[in-house]
Amino acid sequence: MMKVQGKSSLSAKARHTAAAVCALALLGTAGAASAADPLQPDPELEAVTLSAPKPSWVFVERGFVVSGNSIYDTDTGKMLGMVEASTLSDLALDPAGKAYYVSESIWTKGWRGTRQDMITVYDAATLKLKTEITMPGRILIGGRKYNFVIADAGKTAYVYNLDPASSVNVVDLAKGKFVKKIELPGCASLMPVTGVGFSALCSDGSLATVKTAAAKPEITRSAPFFSATNDPIFDNFGYDGAKQQAVFLTYTGQVYTAKLGATPTISEPFSIQTAAGVSPADTKPLDVHWYPGARQGLAYHLATGHAFVLMHMGEYWTHKAPGTEIWELDVAAKKVIKRIPLEEAANSVTVTQEANAKLVLSTEGGTLLILDAKTGAEKFKLEKSGGGVLRTLEP
Amino acid sequence: MKTFNPDAMGEKLLRRFAGRTSRRSILSRLGLALVAAPAFPLLPVSRANAAKPDRSPEAKTNFARNAQSADDTKCTYWRYCAIDGSLCSCCGGAVNRCPPGAEHSPVSWVGTCINPDDGRAYLIAYRDCCGKAYCNKCDCDGTDRETQLYVPQLNNDVIWCFGTTSMEYHCSTAVLVGTA
Repeated sequence: MMKVQGKSSLSAKARHTAAAVCALALLGTAGAASAADPLQPDPELEAVTLSAPKPSWVFVERGFVVSGNSIYDTDTGKMLGMVEASTLSDLALDPAGKAYYVSESIWTKGWRGTRQDMITVYDAATLKLKTEITMPGRILIGGRKYNFVIADAGKTAYVYNLDPASSVNVVDLAKGKFVKKIELPGCASLMPVTGVGFSALCSDGSLATVKTAAAKPEITRSAPFFSATNDPIFDNFGYDGAKQQAVFLTYTGQVYTAKLGATPTISEPFSIQTAAGVSPADTKPLDVHWYPGARQGLAYHLATGHAFVLMHMGEYWTHKAPGTEIWELDVAAKKVIKRIPLEEAANSVTVTQEANAKLVLSTEGGTLLILDAKTGAEKFKLEKSGGGVLRTLEP
Repeated sequence: MKTFNPDAMGEKLLRRFAGRTSRRSILSRLGLALVAAPAFPLLPVSRANAAKPDRSPEAKTNFARNAQSADDTKCTYWRYCAIDGSLCSCCGGAVNRCPPGAEHSPVSWVGTCINPDDGRAYLIAYRDCCGKAYCNKCDCDGTDRETQLYVPQLNNDVIWCFGTTSMEYHCSTAVLVGTA
């Protein structure tokens, strides 16, 4: 109904303009003839194309109800386009900047019919479909960064599946072919490990490392180092592919760093609260304290090794509560160097991997906020633009 | 923590299953169990923490202290301590029943919630109702003892519509399994 009204009011305006032009012509005003030349018709329509992705871009997974990944430039605050995606899909960026990959599940008759799981490949310039790579099933869940990860400089993809047995699909992106499925009991959240395969967090509190090359994949586990049920590590941790390092954060605020490899080493933890000069938090009820939380509560700036963590005041088991402050943590120095209070609580945070980094937040009310990471100053506030997982280009 | 024992929860589920299963149906159920089994990874058998749990207000979570048993269309209803999604009781179903035409998922994630009336902890199976569009009413997100994806049976973000005709998520129920 609104659209019809809009259309008719436009035509009314056009009619007024036409009448005014006619009136001027009748009066014979000098120069009116050239001013009244009609506008030229638009040329043959062609969709806009994009440059290769830039470090200032952010990819916003729109969420559970509305699908698609919107692309924004944090330099201008403008939306540049959208990578098509079905509900509960996962996006990954080609490190060469040539393609966008969407790991997704669709059925031949909407939600009925034959299930089809695939990696859908879109051209980075035109955002048009290039090809589809068929694979076995994948997990249906929202809001996770590490269920679909790219390894080997863009040649391999790992896709997590839960049906409800857990496994990982290995996909050769260069050849466009599914390679094999690796059973991964009791573990999830994948980190590519160069020259080895991948690592994953496990329910026994260990880090599993999977050597994928052998005919029978070899899975080794570290000694358990965290409690998966009493103080779990958030699925959306920090990961640095080049340095082969992961930064893990637990519900109470314990921070671990893991040096990934065939035999990973995991540091002793420290408390993010202690790093900020306040007492550490624990698992006891009634202990109102600063806790980490939210849906995507940790962003990791690779060049500086600083983690930006969404924190909130609450009791234990409030790990999904949105953050009311961002704590900037120098992980190596074990020191919180800045706390940025937020006007509106945020569910997700990411950081651009630029020298002058920007923080991108998705708020409770669905607003996308772009802040200067150094000062915390607001650069853009984009309403109705927030959503689920936020992704930026990594070097 | 004394209040949480995943091992006992697994045992409770299995006992309930055994008590309700006839020999005739065992073959069909066995297939389901085989499919569902990997969702329950081999938990370390530990009896060290089997001491009587502390149910004092000081030991209760924020949710448990504020939980009520009168209105199951509110997020504060005691069984919803670890639910996530639309309440089926607001969508034409009930706390433990799917709305018309929707299909109960045979498998679920679980929670341990304290009933405010008797102070006991109960094992709750959150069984999704599937095959219709997202109800999007009475959205709740209880997070007591809710963990991450590597412990999927305690994670409430997973779409648990396994073994159903359709994997489309509609709403969630909270089925009482027994005392925890």
